[in-house]
Amino acid sequence: MTNQAQAIAALVETARGNRPQSLENREVEETLNIALALLVELSVANDKIDRLERLVAKLRGEDVEALREIRYDGAVADQRQETTDALLMRVLRILIDPRAQAES
Amino acid sequence: MKVRDVQHAVLPRATADEHSRQNAVVSLRRLLNSKVRSRNVGIFESEAAPAFAERHGRQPQSPEEVRQAFLMSPGYRMWSAANRSAQEMIWVSVGEPTYRDLDRMEQATKELIEAEDKRGSLSLDPSYDPSPEVANVDIHLQPGGYAMNRSEYDIVPGALYECGGNVFSFGQGIGRGDSKAGVILRLLEEEFDGFKPAKMLDIGCSAGAASAAYAAEWPEVDIHAVDLGAAMLRYAHARAESLGVAVHFHQMDASDMRFEDESFDLVVSHNLMHEIGEEKRRAMIRESFRLVRPGGVVIHQDVAIRNQPTLVHEVERDWDTHFNGEVHWNTYATADLKADMIAAGFPEDTVVEHDLTALQGMANNRWYAISGRKPAQ
Repeated sequence: MTNQAQAIAALVETARGNRPQSLENREVEETLNIALALLVELSVANDKIDRLERLVAKLRGEDVEALREIRYDGAVADQRQETTDALLMRVLRILIDPRAQAES
Repeated sequence: MKVRDVQHAVLPRATADEHSRQNAVVSLRRLLNSKVRSRNVGIFESEAAPAFAERHGRQPQSPEEVRQAFLMSPGYRMWSAANRSAQEMIWVSVGEPTYRDLDRMEQATKELIEAEDKRGSLSLDPSYDPSPEVANVDIHLQPGGYAMNRSEYDIVPGALYECGGNVFSFGQGIGRGDSKAGVILRLLEEEFDGFKPAKMLDIGCSAGAASAAYAAEWPEVDIHAVDLGAAMLRYAHARAESLGVAVHFHQMDASDMRFEDESFDLVVSHNLMHEIGEEKRRAMIRESFRLVRPGGVVIHQDVAIRNQPTLVHEVERDWDTHFNGEVHWNTYATADLKADMIAAGFPEDTVVEHDLTALQGMANNRWYAISGRKPAQ
């Protein structure tokens, strides 16, 4: 039985040839590849959330749009805001890092 | 018969997440094609040509200089990097379910190709060494290429080709109802008085989607198909059997086939010419002339990348040669195919180039074909 990670490794191991670079810098090009792969994974996660929302709505016997319209305020809204702020800090940390660029 | 999105026993059974991933790659490629790549020719004027002129003091002239200029443009470079990345992700999105589900797929293949009540057949040639100009290249970055054959029941190249081809095509805006075989059937109806063969040959059949579509349309026709990869052909054969259609698959080189002269009423190839070099293409066309009977029809269909309006369009379209493993892309795009057909023996007045609309898809989805007819005796 081949698990998901083994399946990806099996595919990648068969790839041949070189990898021509489009951008001026290899590190930037590889980072772009990682970002685009994450974009695809975000889309997969969104599909999964959508699926779960529809199932929950069905279980509750209500329209999925009504379920998506649920708004939170007060303590729950504050908690969500904190979570969002922390997410942005994690993702954009490099933009606020005080260290100047230096040669290694 | 539909050729895209058909269900059969040797397709990987993708999970919901894997389908989501493939759809995301389709959407990404559709956006890159329609919203980003479409700006490239304009970017040449606004970024690429000025950058080249600043460095060299003159405008780019030759194809190589136009290519150099494109690569001086940040907008083009970002599109190129993203497009290469999206192309690689096609194969990840279909390769993961393929290798994950491979044990079941190989077992299904074994049962289908060893069944006693088969409709078609599979003739592999262990003495044939697949042509290196195709076998040694990961064409359109398909990992392992067309001729990879790792075991007695290996079918990976066929599964990747079919599944990856669908993700690629939908990302190009090609409709799920499109079919290259369907386009040729329509051409035969409209331009050849509904010509229908008793025996036909499909050269370079890959995973056998077109061959199976002809067999479904014409169940009484004796249909043969040729390709160079054993695992590719094994998949094509199992696929056809699972779909319940009769096709006889043969492992041969398109430039040197082992059929008797004048064996077929109709000889076709689909998307083969851009995968082979000039010498092999000419030999393949000569073979198509040798193998068709007097009065028979030959149609070679391929991608509609020929006859670009300007050199800038031509070089922009040539991205695949340099970044997508399509090493013969430009050779095909700029070839004098009419001359090849005439040199092979087709009378000049029978050789016709066709600009064909796709059966379904966006308005700019078109196919190219060139046809010829052997004089009746």
